[in-house]
Amino acid sequence: MAFLVLVPLLPLLTAFIVMTGDRAEQDQNARAGLLPIVASFLGALLTLVLVTTGGPVTIQLYDPAAVANLAFPIGFYIDRLSAVMMVLITGVTTLIYRYSMGYMYQDRGYRRYLGMLGLTTSVLLCMVSSANLVMLFIFWQILSWLLFLLAHNHGHGATLSGAANTFTMLRLSDAAFLAGIVLAYSLYGTFEFQTLFTRATETPITLFIWPELGWEMNGVTAVTLLIFGGAMGKSAQFPIHTWLPRSLYAPTPIHALLHAGIINAGGFLLNRLAPLYGLSPSTLHLVFVIGMLTAMLGATMMLTQNDIKKTLGFSTIGQMGYMIMECGLGAFSLAVFHLIAHGLFKGTVFLNCGNVIHKARQEPSFPHLDREAEESEFSSLTWSTGFFTTLLLPLVILLVTHGVLRIPLLESQGTVIFLFFIWVTSSQAILSLTRIRAVASWKVSAAMLVTLIIVVFTYLFAVESFTHFLYPNAEEVASYFKAAALPGRLFDSLVVGTTLLTVLSWVYLYAHAHGRTITIPGWIEAFLVRLYVVCMNRLYLDQLYLKLGRLVTHVAHRLEKRLS
Amino acid sequence: MMRAWMTPWLLLAVPILGAGLSWLLRAALSRMKTAALITTVVSLCSIIGSALALGEPSVGVPFLCLLPLTACLSLLGQPLHRDTSPAWPMTLILLGLGLGTLTSQGLVHGILLLLLLILLCGVLYRHQPVSAPDTWRGLASYGLGIIAILVALVLPAPASDIAGLMACATLFPLLPLHSGFVASLSGLPGNLPAFLALLLPMVGFHDLQVLLPTLSGTVLHTLAILALAGAVYGSLRALIQSRPLPRLAYAALAFFCLLWWYVADTGTAPIPATIYLSAVGLATSGLLLAWFAIRARYGDVDLRTLGGMAYPMPRFSTLLALLALAALGMPPFGVFSGFLSMLLLPTFTPSGPFAVIMLVWLTASWYQMELVQQLVFGRAHAELRYEDLRRTEFMSLVLLLFLLLVLGTAPSRWFESNAPTPPLSTASQGDTWTR
Repeated sequence: MAFLVLVPLLPLLTAFIVMTGDRAEQDQNARAGLLPIVASFLGALLTLVLVTTGGPVTIQLYDPAAVANLAFPIGFYIDRLSAVMMVLITGVTTLIYRYSMGYMYQDRGYRRYLGMLGLTTSVLLCMVSSANLVMLFIFWQILSWLLFLLAHNHGHGATLSGAANTFTMLRLSDAAFLAGIVLAYSLYGTFEFQTLFTRATETPITLFIWPELGWEMNGVTAVTLLIFGGAMGKSAQFPIHTWLPRSLYAPTPIHALLHAGIINAGGFLLNRLAPLYGLSPSTLHLVFVIGMLTAMLGATMMLTQNDIKKTLGFSTIGQMGYMIMECGLGAFSLAVFHLIAHGLFKGTVFLNCGNVIHKARQEPSFPHLDREAEESEFSSLTWSTGFFTTLLLPLVILLVTHGVLRIPLLESQGTVIFLFFIWVTSSQAILSLTRIRAVASWKVSAAMLVTLIIVVFTYLFAVESFTHFLYPNAEEVASYFKAAALPGRLFDSLVVGTTLLTVLSWVYLYAHAHGRTITIPGWIEAFLVRLYVVCMNRLYLDQLYLKLGRLVTHVAHRLEKRLS
Repeated sequence: MMRAWMTPWLLLAVPILGAGLSWLLRAALSRMKTAALITTVVSLCSIIGSALALGEPSVGVPFLCLLPLTACLSLLGQPLHRDTSPAWPMTLILLGLGLGTLTSQGLVHGILLLLLLILLCGVLYRHQPVSAPDTWRGLASYGLGIIAILVALVLPAPASDIAGLMACATLFPLLPLHSGFVASLSGLPGNLPAFLALLLPMVGFHDLQVLLPTLSGTVLHTLAILALAGAVYGSLRALIQSRPLPRLAYAALAFFCLLWWYVADTGTAPIPATIYLSAVGLATSGLLLAWFAIRARYGDVDLRTLGGMAYPMPRFSTLLALLALAALGMPPFGVFSGFLSMLLLPTFTPSGPFAVIMLVWLTASWYQMELVQQLVFGRAHAELRYEDLRRTEFMSLVLLLFLLLVLGTAPSRWFESNAPTPPLSTASQGDTWTR
């Protein structure tokens, strides 16, 4: 099984091939560099097959008992989660590399870019197949640095400042991650994943944060909170998400890689440490809150941006929030499923986005102004299909699950969460479909029904199968849901709130489509306008951080003045 | 037949003789430099030779070897210029005194340490603009160190221990006695700052290791508070310096204060601590040498007047970026592995001040990356004539990076063989995870 080590090493060969040799031969080298990447992808597929049939593979190049070798504990632990991530990363890289060969052709940084792409892929693969926390952290940090370099465009001021911001933000989360590792080792004496999980389960530890005041915290909670700080940075969670929109001046293929691969690191980390997170309900609740905030803010800010890349950037932030929220709800496998689907989708969108921008620059034109046509073409068939499918769906699902399958919904938050994801996702898709005007309404209605079937099928069968694939032990999955269970009233109010929001969306859509005026109090309208401005300016967080930085330097200057 | 008492004298004599020879050859700068370089190599051989002959030197041979190696690398990239040439024999003299101090004990150790500080005072006084307040602060700090050593030689314990500790703090910088270190790194000519960035902390840390078992809990607690304050102070000062030399000096102060805090908090000075110390010293040396390469081309200018070196000076840019990475504590270099290994030792238990330590650790990525970003990236300046590193400059930086890589990736047992056993005074070891 030692040959599996080649999978993360092959992209390094690509970097070597591309970076060396004469500049005149760079196209030839770039073509040659594609081969190791493809080989790595095939190797990842083979790994997935081997791991699925034969169980996890462990390759340790160090003695876990010897503290003397702590400096670089290189080892590989490849289970189904790692293998899935490896397939995703190598697959996306293969496509991006091939695309970049044309897109970056004759660019000054062509060789550097392709070389860095190979290096980043290798680092990502090493990270997802790490055998222990320290190795994972080492590659996690290297990834922060590579991201800084990839986001660079040497001569462009805004890009430079964005790259520096990216690195600082990522280092902030890296510091939290490092503190988490140190605390974990201090409490449990190991950084090997399986041993850590076993010891954390068997040895409950209480940390006295402030004994005089009686402040204490569970050891696992403290460790998981700090490590979650690390995940927050890489996955652009509120309030340290600001680096992602600011790094959007980088080459378009970099964004495809960033949004399809690198940014998923946070979700991967939470999944890798799922047994540890499963021991700490408090952390899971915080993860849920942060994820929910990020999802809401990301989606809201996305709607107010006037730049296609920033729009996509905030869309990713929203999706990452969604993914982290899933982890916070104990649906770890759902987060991985989401991560893969989003990665593939966003990769495609970004690769297309480059062409769109180029085309827009070559053939500038005004945006379409067909608002009036939209108003007159309102179709009651489209609207009623959407309305009924969206509102009838919960009833059907409740009937099936509660009546036919006899699942006790009141006692199973996990199942309700899955059902809600089905409902919210399909509602969103169907709401979007109502905006289609150019085709006959029966076609749109049919599309709605097909969408509904696809979403229901995806959640009920694909996600369920994927969950079973990733976490074959059903009790383990149930224990995560149990740990993440929210207090009854809070959960109920969340359910009622989401339901109301979805229904109100339909009511608003109906009224809006019929040209009816919805009376809104003046103060709410004023508030909405202000909210729009705040969201358009990305909550002024960039400015806030800038002011914070200036405050620190101001204090330092005053200190220096006093001393001299 | 080699005897133990001969070692310090031998290690002292070789560089000083070399310094004399080099000074005699000052008419031809290339010969002078070659003589100095050969002396460092001979000095390295004498360390290895004496270790082999005796088997038990007083400090770890690998760390001792770093001193002549750093001296050699700092000299290697130096341009042949009259203004910088006096620094070459001075480097050798300081090397000799440093090696003598590290390998001697008792009165000889005290005298050699005294000579080292007096020489530093002299060099600082000779080469700095006397009107600068930093010079006077530096001189005052070293002066206090001299008095402290004299007190330590004359008075009995515990006064001698406290005095010895003060002398340590002038070399291995600790707030408020750091001014000598900062002035040496930011004001001395030629390659001296790059060499002193490693030599001074190493000598100071060695003395601290010896004193550690005698220090009481109160003293250690006070040291921990001073170290925390020093780390924050160093970071803040590094953050606002527009000139690279003071920035690097204060950055080194912050990182060395982290080590002071660790030693004071745990009451131990284990092998990873020495790895960390050496790595911080080497990384600072490397960055100073990189800046000297720029200074040799454009003079001691403000950082903001430079930039855009990525394409016209690719070798310099790559090495500077890697050195900055090493200095701010990124893997796979020694600063990171030393720091992490220290924190993972069972003697360390995370506590409240650890948050401050992490903050200081984090701040480094701010000011170090700003330095890199300013020099390497941005638009190329039309008024600057870019010239990439020459072969000797390139070699010295590459070898320094290699040393940092070795410190970062080599197993700790490589450094354990001949090193002194870390003294345990206040911290207790235990299987913390079974609590």
